Amino acid sequence: METTSTNEAVTNHAVNSPSQSRAMLAADNLTKRYEDGVLALDHVTFEVNQGHIYAMLGGNGAGKTTTINLFLNFIEPTEGEARINGIVTHKEPLRAKEKIAFVSENVMLYPNFTALQNLDFFARLGGQTGYSKDDYREVLLRVGLQEEAHNKRLKGFSKGMRQKCGIAIAILKDAPAILLDEPTSGLDPKAGFEFIRLLESLRDEGKAILMSTHDIFRARDIADTIGIMNQGRIVMQSQKSDIAGEDLEKLYMKYMAGYMEQVN
Amino acid sequence: MLKILIEKELKAIILSPKFSATFSVCAILIVLSVFIGLRDYQAAVAQYETATTLSNQEMREQTSWMSLNTRAYREPDPMQIFVAGVQNDVGRLSSINAFSQIKLENSNYSDEPIFAVFRFIDLTFIVQIVLSLFAILFTYDAINGEREGGTLQLTFANAVPRVQYILAKFIGSWLGLVLPLLIPLLIGLLLLLLFRVPMTGDHWAKLFTLIGASFLYFTFFIALGLLVSALTKRSTTSFMFLLVAWVTLVLIVPRAGVMLAGQITPVPTVAEIDGQREGYAKERWKQHMDALTERWEERNAGLQNLTAEEREAFRDDHSWDWMKEDEEERKLVQRDISEYDRKLNEDLRNRKATQERLGFLLSRFSPASSYQLAAMHLAGTDISIKPEYEDAMRDYRDKFISYREQKQKEEGGGMAGGFRIEFNSDTGMKISGDRDSGAIDVTDVPVFEAPQYRFAAGLLPAMPDFGLLTLYTLLAFAAGFVAFLRYDVR
Ligand SMILES: Nc1ncnc2c1ncn2[C@@H]1O[C@H](COP(=O)(O)OP(=O)(O)O)[C@@H](O)[C@H]1O
Ligand SMILES: [Mg+2]
Repeated sequence: METTSTNEAVTNHAVNSPSQSRAMLAADNLTKRYEDGVLALDHVTFEVNQGHIYAMLGGNGAGKTTTINLFLNFIEPTEGEARINGIVTHKEPLRAKEKIAFVSENVMLYPNFTALQNLDFFARLGGQTGYSKDDYREVLLRVGLQEEAHNKRLKGFSKGMRQKCGIAIAILKDAPAILLDEPTSGLDPKAGFEFIRLLESLRDEGKAILMSTHDIFRARDIADTIGIMNQGRIVMQSQKSDIAGEDLEKLYMKYMAGYMEQVN
Repeated sequence: MLKILIEKELKAIILSPKFSATFSVCAILIVLSVFIGLRDYQAAVAQYETATTLSNQEMREQTSWMSLNTRAYREPDPMQIFVAGVQNDVGRLSSINAFSQIKLENSNYSDEPIFAVFRFIDLTFIVQIVLSLFAILFTYDAINGEREGGTLQLTFANAVPRVQYILAKFIGSWLGLVLPLLIPLLIGLLLLLLFRVPMTGDHWAKLFTLIGASFLYFTFFIALGLLVSALTKRSTTSFMFLLVAWVTLVLIVPRAGVMLAGQITPVPTVAEIDGQREGYAKERWKQHMDALTERWEERNAGLQNLTAEEREAFRDDHSWDWMKEDEEERKLVQRDISEYDRKLNEDLRNRKATQERLGFLLSRFSPASSYQLAAMHLAGTDISIKPEYEDAMRDYRDKFISYREQKQKEEGGGMAGGFRIEFNSDTGMKISGDRDSGAIDVTDVPVFEAPQYRFAAGLLPAMPDFGLLTLYTLLAFAAGFVAFLRYDVR
């Protein structure tokens, strides 16, 4: 397969062209070349509206984490920009970060703090000072952390429990946009399923959600829009309604394989 | 935001196991050190009082002005509880008499070398060695530890200004170290009151300034720990690096500075000085003897043409003048020798001072030296106590000798240095001076006045070190600040 057909595919399935006004999250020709010369992200453009879930689907090294880090201004773009509610993240990082909550691939909290203490600290850091202990408990129950763990130190928590705390923190911040980097990797199927239901309820509250995953079925399950990423590019982007499950799988394999062919 | 961050920092520190370890070690060390220092001080006071009483007693029991001599003692000072400085190494007394040089002898450590083996740990040592280590322990992973733990990412996914974050780290670590320090310090101060240590206003001023200097000192290490933590990605790296920096700054630089100064500006040893002095004295006495012989020959030559009787008469007439002349000459020789000795000493002291200045200048590249020097200056236990005490004792010696000579003249009259030798079958040989019997009245003998160490006098020479400590701290903090602004939180 040739490069042109790849680009064709992108345009074929693409959502409307980026408009700066409505989108909560927008990547505009986002490009990142690391100091060692690796081109991790190559003119990536997409947007996520409120009440939508955008899934970045791609293998290891595709550029998913790089994209999220650019939204968080952990790194500066080489070219292009990431916007949150119209705010360019690398120009006004503090204002932009007020509008996003973040759940990392492996949520790490303060091991000597209890779940409640961790929640309290990060909620206040996120600008939410009005919560009570009961509010924290309620959210922890909502994300599925049993009552008896609330007052335990994070030290002994499993990865799943930590992910739950992480999403609880994101919920507490009550930001209009949520970024999740492979949030379900390493979770058992039941926890993964619960996690997905939770994301759906957040979407229904009107959040704009950008998540990365390498799990094609999960992406198909909940995403409103799927962007297949490879080698720093979005090689295909499609609305959920456009394709049936089988197609996506085929498309994914096709684009991945095609891309590999082209590169090799 | 700053408040939230500082609160979290303090909470994290208090909940960490290193806090309880630090707290207990600090508490035990500080309280124990103050307590032991306090008992040592009290023992030193008791010893000082006994010794001075005894010395006065001995003076009162003297029967002749001629043989009157005494000893002057160095007075213990409450500040030695906190800053031992060199006070255990410098001698505690010097004999005061016409024949020997002023020299401080019998230091604590020379009297009881066992204590020199395990030297007294004073507050300055605890701060200099232990607290600086704790400061490093508290901060080596302040930044990179949070990166490794993943909490730095989550924190900066929020609208947290970096300036506030690093400030909160600094303030939080500082408070986390100061709080455990305050409690044992307060207990130490209570002990002072409880044991009725005679603390004057000056002493309190010195003590609180010393505590201030201590805080400044470990603030530097907190800033240094943050700096290194903000320069490295891994906490194991920063720990290693800080350990090396600590050994260099606290153990090596202070000693290397002094040693280097010794190489650059060598100072003659005591033995060399003694040799020079003796050589000169020998030479001078030889000259004197030669001159004396010549004089006698001249005098005898003048007698040559006279009869035996005339000679006898001439001798009777002149012997007094001759003796006087010889005595004057002898005194002149003695004066020359002590003048030479004074010069030697002065030269030695100047050279030592130059060496010390250079040594301290070099060692001051380490905040540990600056702190120690500032503390010793404040407490009045720095190395200048030796020359200062010796100067005071020399003045006292002059006073004492002129007092004695005057008394001798008043009461004995006649010839200076006249004494009688008696042989008695019962008591053996007896040498007596101007008076035959009964003790002399020494009620108006001059009393040795120890040099006073006022607060202001100690603060002034400590100022440059305060300045240096502040400078080092500000530099480390500023560098840490800049390093963190560019820190990769991933
Ligand atoms: N800090 C970095 N420095 C250099 N190269 C990096 C860095 N982080 C990621 N990369 C490279 O950028 C590419 C994209 O990485 P990443 O965004 O982490 O992918 P993903 O999250 O999709 O697995 C990879 O080739 C990776 O090796
Ligand atoms: Mg990744």
